[in-house]
Amino acid sequence: MEGNYFKKFFYSKTVLSIIIILIILAALPLYASSYVVYVAALALLYAMIAAGYDVLCGYTGQLSFCQGAFYGIGAYCSAILTVNYGWSFWQAMPISVLFVGLVSAIIGYPALRLRGSYFAVTTFFLAHFVYLIFLNEISLTGGPLGFRGIRPPEPIGPLSFESMTNEYLLILFSFIVIFALLRKLVNSNIGFIFKSISQDDILAESIGINTAAYKLLSFVISAIVAGYAGVLFAHFFRLLHPTTFAWYLSEMIVIMTLVGGWEP
Amino acid sequence: MDRSRREGAGWPMIDTTVLTQLLNGIILGLIYGLMAIGLTMIWSITDLPDFSQGGIYIISAYVAYWSIVLLNIPYFFAIPTGAVMGILLSVFFERIVYKPLRASGLSCLLAAIALFFLLENVAIALWTPKAKIMSVPETEVSLNLFGIVTTYHRIIILIISVLLFILVHLFIKYTKMGMAIRAVSEDKEIAGLMGINTDKIYVVTWALGGALTSVAAILISPLYAVWPGMGDLPLLKALVVVILGGFGSIIGALIGGLILGVIETFGAVYVSAAYQHGFAFIILLLTLSLRPRGLFGKR
Repeated sequence: MEGNYFKKFFYSKTVLSIIIILIILAALPLYASSYVVYVAALALLYAMIAAGYDVLCGYTGQLSFCQGAFYGIGAYCSAILTVNYGWSFWQAMPISVLFVGLVSAIIGYPALRLRGSYFAVTTFFLAHFVYLIFLNEISLTGGPLGFRGIRPPEPIGPLSFESMTNEYLLILFSFIVIFALLRKLVNSNIGFIFKSISQDDILAESIGINTAAYKLLSFVISAIVAGYAGVLFAHFFRLLHPTTFAWYLSEMIVIMTLVGGWEP
Repeated sequence: MDRSRREGAGWPMIDTTVLTQLLNGIILGLIYGLMAIGLTMIWSITDLPDFSQGGIYIISAYVAYWSIVLLNIPYFFAIPTGAVMGILLSVFFERIVYKPLRASGLSCLLAAIALFFLLENVAIALWTPKAKIMSVPETEVSLNLFGIVTTYHRIIILIISVLLFILVHLFIKYTKMGMAIRAVSEDKEIAGLMGINTDKIYVVTWALGGALTSVAAILISPLYAVWPGMGDLPLLKALVVVILGGFGSIIGALIGGLILGVIETFGAVYVSAAYQHGFAFIILLLTLSLRPRGLFGKR
């Protein structure tokens, strides 16, 4: 009984502190300089990617090193669709996210069927390969000169995203929604299946779980989150450069997840 | 008849350019293969793709560069100097880092990648990011071999790496220690029960890996340059060679390395120079989907 009470108290305290942090973050543009808002937006994007990565790495136990690549694919895909083809942000965003999901499924399918470290090596190489594409397909990505001329998201009704503040709030809102969805996912049946794979994938397979399919699912989920963060990044910072998405970023995301502590 | 003759006319003749590129590809492949031997042995024993070998590659190249420039050691003595550095680092990492983490494969892999980045940044801090030229005037003499234009240095790479392949193959195949290494890679617990000191085997394997990685780095650096980012691509490609050739297979490392080196060189010349480093990734994906155990893998 006492434990239950304590848990309840702790839970309410957690909720309270989360609400306070969210208020501080949401009110940030009111009292902080634009540089601080810029850094906070970047931090939220990274937090989003790291949270998505934790589903793959922490819950499912598959170490991968290519979140930066998916982040970059999302960013460049949305930038190319909006600038070169004149799509609106709200059309380009779902297509870019779907594209990232497709790429991750194509890469993950051969790599995730194998145990051991194959997967880590493949993803490590993928990060480099994607960087090469960004660097060399100059007609498409601008290459080493960078990709310019990205517009902010189109307004929805009275809500305009021209100002940095509103776009920052869009990122904050996306972060909250994605975080809540990921929480829901890992506490659902699928989340338990992910955890069982990370603890013992042979045992999980022996009780009838299609481990390869679920590993692929968690890989695609983490990639989609990174891709979505990339789309937001492209339209917030409005300048893309290949070195932003070099493999160091992927390692940094691994470190972020590691420092935050991963599940199991 | 007429048609075939016309096709024949359009077909590129096997001229000396092709042969020169073939030689370059073989040399590149031998370097990848050398690095892959150590990686494949470490990987087959501990299930760890030892990314820290990429860092050892950088550091030993710099040590060789230093010993040439500062101490005026001839190039052929700089090779063993760098190799000793590689062995020391490799064994040090095995004892200090991997041994305590061996129970958890995931932590080992993370530690290996962290070491790779650490060494890369050590190189930046110690030697600045500027590329250095390791010049070996004695061997950089042009040579015309039946129309193939090359340098003595490439021939030296060819000879040294083939010799090393033969030596390592004999060592693994016929010496007692080599047999013990193979036994441990089959099953370390049973090998331990048979009276093999598995700890010693780990040290020997890592030392061999460090030595081969360093020799590969020092052999290739006069052709390119010595700079802190030099280890990234050879490491990735050696890992692809390991997967292509199959776990724990020396012949696989050699053949896989040659295949990758030749494909890369011809791809750069005839397909796209920008994606020279991308071909390895395509080979990796093809291997994983068509033949996951590699060309010569047992499992």
